Amino acid sequence: MKAKRRILFSLLLVLLLVGVAAAMMVIGRGHTVYFDNKTLEDYQGQTYKAFEKVVVTVKGEEVAKLSKRDRGMSIWIGQNFKMILEVTREKGGESEIHEIDLKLPYSVDGIVVNLPALLAGLPEEAWYSEFVPAVTEEPVDEGVPGEGDEFGLGGDMGLEGELGLEDGLGDV
Amino acid sequence: MSTAIVLPEALKKMGFPRLIISGFLLVLFILTPFVGVDLPTQITNIINRFSWNAVLVLAMVPMIHAGCGLNFGLPLAIICGLLGGTLSIQLGFTGPMSFVMAVLIATPFAVILGGGYGLLLNRIKGGEMMIATYVGFSVMSFFCMMWLLLPYSSPTMVYGLSGNGLRPTISLDGFYNQTLARLLEIDFAKIAAALHISLGPLERIKIPTGSLIAFALLAFLMWAFLHTKTGTAMTAVGSNAAFARAAGINVDRTRMLSVIMSTWLGAMGILMYQQGFGFIQLYNAPNNLTMPTVAAILIGGASVNKASIPNVIIGTILFQGIVTMTPTVMNSAIHMDMSEVIRIIVSQGMILYALTRKAEGAK
Amino acid sequence: MSRKTNLPAGKRALELVQNNAVPIMFIIICAVFIPMAGFSPSYLLNEIVTRMGRNLFLVLCLLFPIMAGMGLNFAMTLGAMGAEIAIILVADWQIWGIPGVVLAMILSIPFSALLGFICGTLQNMAKGREMITSYIINFFINGWYQLIVLYIMGAIVPIAHASIMLPRGYGIRNTVSLLNMRQCLDDLLAIRVAGVKIPVFTFLLVALLCLFIVWFRRTKLGQDMRAVGQDLEVAKAAGINVDRTRIISVVMSTVCAGFGMVIYLQNIGNLPTYTGHAQIGMFCIAALLVGGASVEKAGIGNAFLGVILFHLMFIVAPGAGAFITGDSMVGEYFRVFLSYGVITLALIMYEAKKRMVRSKAGQELAEAQTKKEDA
Repeated sequence: MKAKRRILFSLLLVLLLVGVAAAMMVIGRGHTVYFDNKTLEDYQGQTYKAFEKVVVTVKGEEVAKLSKRDRGMSIWIGQNFKMILEVTREKGGESEIHEIDLKLPYSVDGIVVNLPALLAGLPEEAWYSEFVPAVTEEPVDEGVPGEGDEFGLGGDMGLEGELGLEDGLGDV
Repeated sequence: MSTAIVLPEALKKMGFPRLIISGFLLVLFILTPFVGVDLPTQITNIINRFSWNAVLVLAMVPMIHAGCGLNFGLPLAIICGLLGGTLSIQLGFTGPMSFVMAVLIATPFAVILGGGYGLLLNRIKGGEMMIATYVGFSVMSFFCMMWLLLPYSSPTMVYGLSGNGLRPTISLDGFYNQTLARLLEIDFAKIAAALHISLGPLERIKIPTGSLIAFALLAFLMWAFLHTKTGTAMTAVGSNAAFARAAGINVDRTRMLSVIMSTWLGAMGILMYQQGFGFIQLYNAPNNLTMPTVAAILIGGASVNKASIPNVIIGTILFQGIVTMTPTVMNSAIHMDMSEVIRIIVSQGMILYALTRKAEGAK
Repeated sequence: MSRKTNLPAGKRALELVQNNAVPIMFIIICAVFIPMAGFSPSYLLNEIVTRMGRNLFLVLCLLFPIMAGMGLNFAMTLGAMGAEIAIILVADWQIWGIPGVVLAMILSIPFSALLGFICGTLQNMAKGREMITSYIINFFINGWYQLIVLYIMGAIVPIAHASIMLPRGYGIRNTVSLLNMRQCLDDLLAIRVAGVKIPVFTFLLVALLCLFIVWFRRTKLGQDMRAVGQDLEVAKAAGINVDRTRIISVVMSTVCAGFGMVIYLQNIGNLPTYTGHAQIGMFCIAALLVGGASVEKAGIGNAFLGVILFHLMFIVAPGAGAFITGDSMVGEYFRVFLSYGVITLALIMYEAKKRMVRSKAGQELAEAQTKKEDA
């Protein structure tokens, strides 16, 4: 009886942990959202011009102030992205405020949003694109353990290296 | 039928991990021609590295014999050797003479520090290995300060800019670099040239005869010592301290002697290592030799309280063989150098295996 | 305790000094060094509070094996390695902020528990030399950790982001940025008192672990553990499954160390993939010992005092070294020397005491025997 209860209890605990972990994976997924204030040329025969000025506010924090052809960015945890846009369409014109809710795709790290297209109410394919980070080839070869010189002839057999005094002892 | 029974027995004696390691090394050797690695060069490397490390491994023997366990306090012995080497250069000796002086200067340090170390280990019987580890660390980090603070002034050794504090790596060119290795060196290339014949790939083999003779001498002395009255007493202390005490052996004195011998051999070992390697390495470097040395003697068939000269020789060859062969063979075969990782797993796994063996646990 | 109160005050003070030699020594060292280093009090306070939040959880996890009489668990780094693997995966899956930390903690449990189980089993095979065994296990598992992180991750375990992968296409970079979960626990509920940031939530977690330890000591398992720690044979005779209890203590320690490492890493904000765990074990053990713990007895108070004193010394030593010798490297080496020295001292005191007790028991036995023979 007691053993049964114990097994049941541990099973429940494991299930709970797995459940929490799964929940965390959903609500904790981080995205980087980029906003483009760029003219969208010739989308189905129409051009959507860039705004004079856009102020992007995310979570009560002003993250970007975009002039024409500017790009701003913000990080967001979760998939229900909310932002407030303060748009000035023409020079000297009145600014208008839009509250935008977006559903971010789970598997995409960087999302680029074209603001003029988005505010014009165009379908998703018009304003959405994926941000592809430029591949930067570092010329510096990182000294990785296991990639040593020929025979480890440096005498440093690297078996210990317990106190790498040079690397950040202060960070302990 | 009989062979079927005898063979597992022999294998059992050899021990499972040693079998794997020897097998692994054998596979590496067999692979060499197929992956385009030059075997004679590899063999020269193994012999060379054997000559550098063998004395250090030999230094493990006395303490294991006296029941003090594996000498994880090797950095202490190495420090003695470093003191000998640096002081010899500081006092202005050059060439082979600097090696002789290094040996002479290191000896009193080894006796004094080893004596203190022995006294300490006598007070904490049963916990030697853990404490040895940390004594080694403490002494090493203490000397890290000393290398900076001691009034060394030889321009070959101190930092160029400030003029005080020793450099982490000191070149031995002009001092005792290759002193023993060059002694009676057998260089097949030179022999071939002298005889006007071609020896083929053999020409790439070089044998550091002097170093090997020095090791052989020390090993022989060790062997002879273990067969003297004091030596057998040491073995008796190691296998059963209570029995030894009953037989009238002064256990503490014998253990102390073993620790001093170990320390002195360790000091000699690092000098041998330096003369082969060509550099003195200071600061945290002594630490890097502890685990490979302990692992080497264990791979050779020693256990926590039993070790012999053949263990030293076999272990050093096997371990250095793996250290030398793995990176080159693996790099040529799969363009992936996992040697470092393999080295860590093999050596630490070997030590772990020795520590967890039940039969030896009850001392 | 009641016996002690009867002693004269002077003798009691002397006893107090004798029993707390190491903390007192460190208090003196710190008192001498602080003015030499010349840091402002608010800077020091800030640093100490940060480091307490960062390290306390890790130090506390050492208490379980000490409870079970297995000495200082040098293999607590196994938990740190488990946590590092979990954190690498979480960073690659781009789970950020507090959910990321929680996920890393949960994910670290299977790794740390498995490693802890291996460690406990091996230590059971080497009774009487648990510490040196745990010390070697730490290096042995480090080899496997490197194998996994350097060769398997990216090659077999899919790693999506080039930013954490080596340019060659497999293996993890030397540092993994944890920018998106940096100090997210510390900033939660954080308050500032006179310019000192107090990471309240992290301290709450530490308090939770302390409460757990206090509670655990009173449970059946905790009592068993202490019985095992006191005397293996007696515990065995009392029907306690000694091996199992010891393994549980190591597993608990390793799992807690995993949590502690996640807390530590979120504070640092990046993961030094190959060096992160190496020093953790030594510094935590040194800190605990500086707090007045010994190999067989350690409490929560030791952990707190130890972290404060040890890290205070650690912060001021380079400056003081530079002040005395004109070379800050001397100070760096000095603090390392002190850390090692304190561990060495504690180990020597422990072994000497153990031997004294043993030889005393042996003498009594011998005396009893001779008496019997005489009769």
